[in-house]
Amino acid sequence: MSIDLTGIGQNRLFLVLSSAERLKQNNISIIRSLTGQGHRVVVITSNHPSAVLKKLYAAEGIDMGRVSFIDTITKYAMGRVPEGQEDCRFISSPSNLTDLGIAITEVLNTLSGQKACLLFDSISTLLIYIPSTNISKFIHFITSKLRLVDASGIFLAVEKGLDPLLLTQLTTYVDGTIDMDLSPRAEEAKKVRSGAGPS
Amino acid sequence: MKNVNRGSLEREGGSSDRRRTKSPGANQQIWILVILGAICIGLEIGVHLFFRTAIGYTHIFYVLLVLAAIWYYQKALVVAAALVAATFLTSGIVGDFSWATLLRAVMFLVVTWIVARISEERDRAKAEILLQKKAIEEKHSALVGYLAEVALRMKNPITLMRDNMAAIRLQLESEKPDLEALKMELSVQITHADQIIANFRELNQAIVEERDEIPLAYRDFLTR
Repeated sequence: MSIDLTGIGQNRLFLVLSSAERLKQNNISIIRSLTGQGHRVVVITSNHPSAVLKKLYAAEGIDMGRVSFIDTITKYAMGRVPEGQEDCRFISSPSNLTDLGIAITEVLNTLSGQKACLLFDSISTLLIYIPSTNISKFIHFITSKLRLVDASGIFLAVEKGLDPLLLTQLTTYVDGTIDMDLSPRAEEAKKVRSGAGPS
Repeated sequence: MKNVNRGSLEREGGSSDRRRTKSPGANQQIWILVILGAICIGLEIGVHLFFRTAIGYTHIFYVLLVLAAIWYYQKALVVAAALVAATFLTSGIVGDFSWATLLRAVMFLVVTWIVARISEERDRAKAEILLQKKAIEEKHSALVGYLAEVALRMKNPITLMRDNMAAIRLQLESEKPDLEALKMELSVQITHADQIIANFRELNQAIVEERDEIPLAYRDFLTR
């Protein structure tokens, strides 16, 4: 499934809402669309280990030369950094926003002059570790940083997983909100799954 | 006794709002008292001084004294004292000063003082109720915000975790599951679960520590 992310070409910031069950699949779809458009994608992951995502992306035929990772969960969950992950940046804990902010700044600096895009997977998982007010401030910091360096950003979140206040705040920080489960392709996919067939 | 600020009491809303719609404003109150005062003085001069009778007309005085006491509390004693002085003066001129005159004067002062105290106490109680109501509303808003945050940080991530676990199970059911990747995925989900448990502990701690944002009634409910 490809996703219409044409706005990304104009350095736009998106809040992408997805159902929990399709979050991983939508993550892959977004990465495929972005790398297909020639973006260098930085995935900030708090929901899946970067090693797992790497394998998934590779299995989906995504050009891994265009994808790099900031992994906030592997070191925290495993207690160590897995071997063969030298190209990833590992943060000690998802709640360590200082280190995460520094890592994002450094990665964006190394990608200056390129079509860079940050994929944040996911705000909903980060909520386990950080109060919503801190998340809101952090996302505001990230979006400001992205605008300053003319980079794009996609913030993944589980639909209905954000309270109205946080959702309103996040919506004001980004240029647009995409509900993946309301997109025509998603509707078509739902119909196929239910046996109705595409219209 | 602590004086109650009538203006602030009425601004707080509640039952005083209803009274405000029926009772006169501050300017009208003054005018009503002035007119009643003039009538009382007129009666004192007309009835007592000219008709030389001290019976009956003084009942009208109580209307002035009660209204003044309701609206201006203890300050109404000044009005009562003025009426007492007028009564004594006319009694002196007419020459009918007696124990009845003294009793009448004492009654003016006593009735005014009692009504003033009752009125003051009633308005003070109203002000207290309004303050308590406001405090409860603030605590309730804080609690709703607190519970919304708790739901946000527990209920929704659990849904995400459930779907992640379902995905792990699907991978295990596949022909060639990547056990190393699955081990990592499970470790991440366990870490998420640990943090959610820690968040629950934090909620319990907040309840045990009797934090102000959780009212007692809700604390009982949460620990039930």
